[in-house]
Amino acid sequence: MTNTETPMIPNEIVVEHPEKREPIGLFTWICVGWLAINLGVALLTPFLPIANPKEMISMPSMGMSLDHLMGTDSLGRDLFARVAWGSRISLGVGLGAMAIGFGIGGPLGMLAAFRRGKLDVALSSVMFTLLAFPSIIAIISILSMWWPRSLAKIILVVGISSVPLVYRVIRAATLSAGSKEYITAARVLGAKDRRIVFRELLPNVAPTGLSFLLFGVATVIALEGVLAFLGLSIDPNTAPSWGNLINDARQSLNDTPQNWPLIIFPSAILCLFILALNFVGDRLRSYFDVTEVKL
Amino acid sequence: MSEASKNVVLSVKDLEVTFRKGRQRVSAVAGISFDLYEGETLGLVGESGCGKSTTGRALMQIVPSTGGEIYVDGAELTSLSKKEARSLRRKMQMIFQDPISSLNPRRRVKDIVAEPLDCWKTAKGEERDAIVYDLLNKVGIDPAVYGNRYARQFSGGQCQRISIARSLAMRPRLLICDEVVSALDVSIQAQILNLLEDLKKEYGLTMLFIAHDLAVVKNISDRVAVMYLGKLCEIGPSDTLYAKPAHPYTSFLLGAALEADPEIEQNRATLSGEPPSPLHPPSGCRFRTRCPFATEKCASEEPMLRDIGAGQQVACHYPLVGSHQ
Amino acid sequence: MSTETNQNNNPDEDFLVVENLTTTFNTARGPLPAVGGVSFRLGHNETLGVVGESGSGKTVLSRTIMGLQPRTNVEVGGSVRFDGHEIVGATEAELREIWGTKVAMIFQDPMTSLNPVTKIGKQIGESLHVRLGMSKDEAKARAIELLTLVGIPSPEERYEAYPTQLSGGMRQRVMIAIALACNPSLLLADEPTTGLDVTIQAQILNLLDELQMKLQMSVILVTHDLGVVATRTDRIIVMYAGRVVEMGRTKDVFKDHRMPYTRALLESTPRVSNPSHTRLKTIPGRPPNLLKLAEGCAFAPRCSRATEKCSQERPNLEPTGTDGHYFACWNPLDNQSAPVSSSTGSTKEFGEDNVRS
Repeated sequence: MTNTETPMIPNEIVVEHPEKREPIGLFTWICVGWLAINLGVALLTPFLPIANPKEMISMPSMGMSLDHLMGTDSLGRDLFARVAWGSRISLGVGLGAMAIGFGIGGPLGMLAAFRRGKLDVALSSVMFTLLAFPSIIAIISILSMWWPRSLAKIILVVGISSVPLVYRVIRAATLSAGSKEYITAARVLGAKDRRIVFRELLPNVAPTGLSFLLFGVATVIALEGVLAFLGLSIDPNTAPSWGNLINDARQSLNDTPQNWPLIIFPSAILCLFILALNFVGDRLRSYFDVTEVKL
Repeated sequence: MSEASKNVVLSVKDLEVTFRKGRQRVSAVAGISFDLYEGETLGLVGESGCGKSTTGRALMQIVPSTGGEIYVDGAELTSLSKKEARSLRRKMQMIFQDPISSLNPRRRVKDIVAEPLDCWKTAKGEERDAIVYDLLNKVGIDPAVYGNRYARQFSGGQCQRISIARSLAMRPRLLICDEVVSALDVSIQAQILNLLEDLKKEYGLTMLFIAHDLAVVKNISDRVAVMYLGKLCEIGPSDTLYAKPAHPYTSFLLGAALEADPEIEQNRATLSGEPPSPLHPPSGCRFRTRCPFATEKCASEEPMLRDIGAGQQVACHYPLVGSHQ
Repeated sequence: MSTETNQNNNPDEDFLVVENLTTTFNTARGPLPAVGGVSFRLGHNETLGVVGESGSGKTVLSRTIMGLQPRTNVEVGGSVRFDGHEIVGATEAELREIWGTKVAMIFQDPMTSLNPVTKIGKQIGESLHVRLGMSKDEAKARAIELLTLVGIPSPEERYEAYPTQLSGGMRQRVMIAIALACNPSLLLADEPTTGLDVTIQAQILNLLDELQMKLQMSVILVTHDLGVVATRTDRIIVMYAGRVVEMGRTKDVFKDHRMPYTRALLESTPRVSNPSHTRLKTIPGRPPNLLKLAEGCAFAPRCSRATEKCSQERPNLEPTGTDGHYFACWNPLDNQSAPVSSSTGSTKEFGEDNVRS
């Protein structure tokens, strides 16, 4: 006998099915709270009583104080205001790009998996070919040539490049849900295609889609950071993103190494935001996973 | 035949289902014919891969039939347009083997049962709810307590009850049960079998009961059909067929069935080998490669289903019983 | 094949003694007693059937006897003495000494127990090579011998096959060959024929019978199917909610059972010998939730003979007077002959949902 692995609790003895799911948990709620704060700030920045991020309102490279919670940068601009405005850009890129990715990739993935056959073959060949191409290189080369850069262009390029990935995830989830007997049962009962897609398939694909959406937003925000770092994101002087702030700080830290908040704050907020997105996404996936044995 | 006077609800003529597997063709159902009379239960038995489930699925047009005709109350199903076929299928319903997977885990029980009503828009609002309550009560699920729960919260036996309730919502004439109790425990299996018997009487159902368990099939069926490798071997009234199997395969199948009784001497002369691949079925009689009585005639000439009296039909050149008195 | 292997020096002694064995899973919702105090003995060459529905703990019992329970979140109590070895509390290394060579197991689903990317010959040969120190050539020769023994046609060819290329019945034969590779003296078969066709099931059961005689093994046959144990076992244990409710010689349990659950199980089984449309007797309700086991007899909520005492006090196994026949019931059935299985009237029905919510 070589096989000594046993499942923790054999399925056989799970006699009664739980009526309630495991509670979400405090940690996940903290993560959700953090995401909500960021989202709130991003939405409400223009109305918040904070300094103009482009205005030099104080001495450069001031440390943290009550007036300037995170201090000022090398040009004397308020860092807190810049981080707050930055969240608008970063979240905008993340959500915008994913809206495009899911808007195109989602329906196509479901359609391919639902119809199967020739349509699936055709769509999948195109998508999987695109997937094989390293999208980061495509994004960098397109953005470096497409001048002048704007937020809309970045969202468009990153969004379109995410379509094949979204397509693959949604198609796989739909295929798996579609192979279940209840789809056959619905068809036999007389349900038409539309009804099957919206009543039977969508509720079972949505949880996978939702958690992937959160991962996707996190990835795009990080990607925007990389682009900013390479100087390929939008002009930091018009509106800074979190990535821009980090890139700025990197340059000015050479002159004023004592002004460490300049790099710590934007980096920490970016990291924590991405981390929270990933945690929540993961928790949602297991929360909605009906097949997982919960005891 | 004695049932000639009875109404035929379902009539299958030379039904064929062929799948493509790469360049090869697998004929899962290779031309079978039978009639189903009003109010009777026909059991369809056979081992895995014999095509019994495919037959059920082809009747529901879940898999397309590649040949033959299916008459439901006299109307031919395969020649109808998609729309007409859909409408005709209201008269037929199917219950599946895996009770858990045949219910959408993310929908509430009362919506699952109401699904056919919603699809056909036959009942709305209070009327719809009343039908659903009634159906759930009939299958032994308390609608007040369980109606709002999600399907994932139920055990296999309960899920099968919900499936049965759903299948009855459109008041079908014909119910196809595909291995509906094989995933259940003995005590739950008995509950479901009794429930089906009761509902059959109450709703005047005609049933096609597909299963591999010989004892279960005998228990619920008026007549039984035995399939082997895509063909019908034998068909006849349950008690007669089990007492006097005419086809050697039926006889071996019955011999291999294990009875829960230590005093019954089990027949140890089991069938040797395994069924040949449906990709390359034997010529003539498909059972001849495992049949101890096979002769050259069996290889060259395919035996046709023929009457041997008492409502029993067999497809064998050398049936084990000649004819009934 | 040598028949003198593992012959104990004292053949009268039971070589498997299970005493008050308990297996409790620690779950997020509290302790789950999957096996709640099971005791039995097994002699040489004996075949013991363990029967029960899902949740009865029969599979957990067999895994615990094998010592296959993981260390974390599982508490195993009591004792399993096997040929001088104590399994409960044994270390991984000690267990490895007896697995395969003394006790082996075959599982329900041969596909998941076989490695899909390794040729079956290699999977059989591996333990021969590692355990018995055979050379590669010797191991191959012995593997082919084993394949022949379990009735696989053209074993030389099949030696090179992958598990996916075999049918379910053939895979189960391969599993048996692997289990028997090192001449175990005890074979645990957990639902070995569930999921196989009747004719293949009969072949596998006949093969197990034959091999038991040839190799002088003891066999524990775990199954939900009363038909499987009826003619293939010497003794039977009937389990319900993790406990033994009746135990005895197969014939006694089938024909002279005292525990109402045993009768209910027998009466709800459809039989080929009964005329069609024989009304089946059903057991109302469903098996209890092991997380919320009540004080008394676990079957009491579903039992037609239950009294107040049944829900308060748990019955212990009592001898019937017949050799080795025990039952656990406060209101046992009378000493009787076989139940009349072709009865018509039905008792309670549709009760699955009115027991607990």
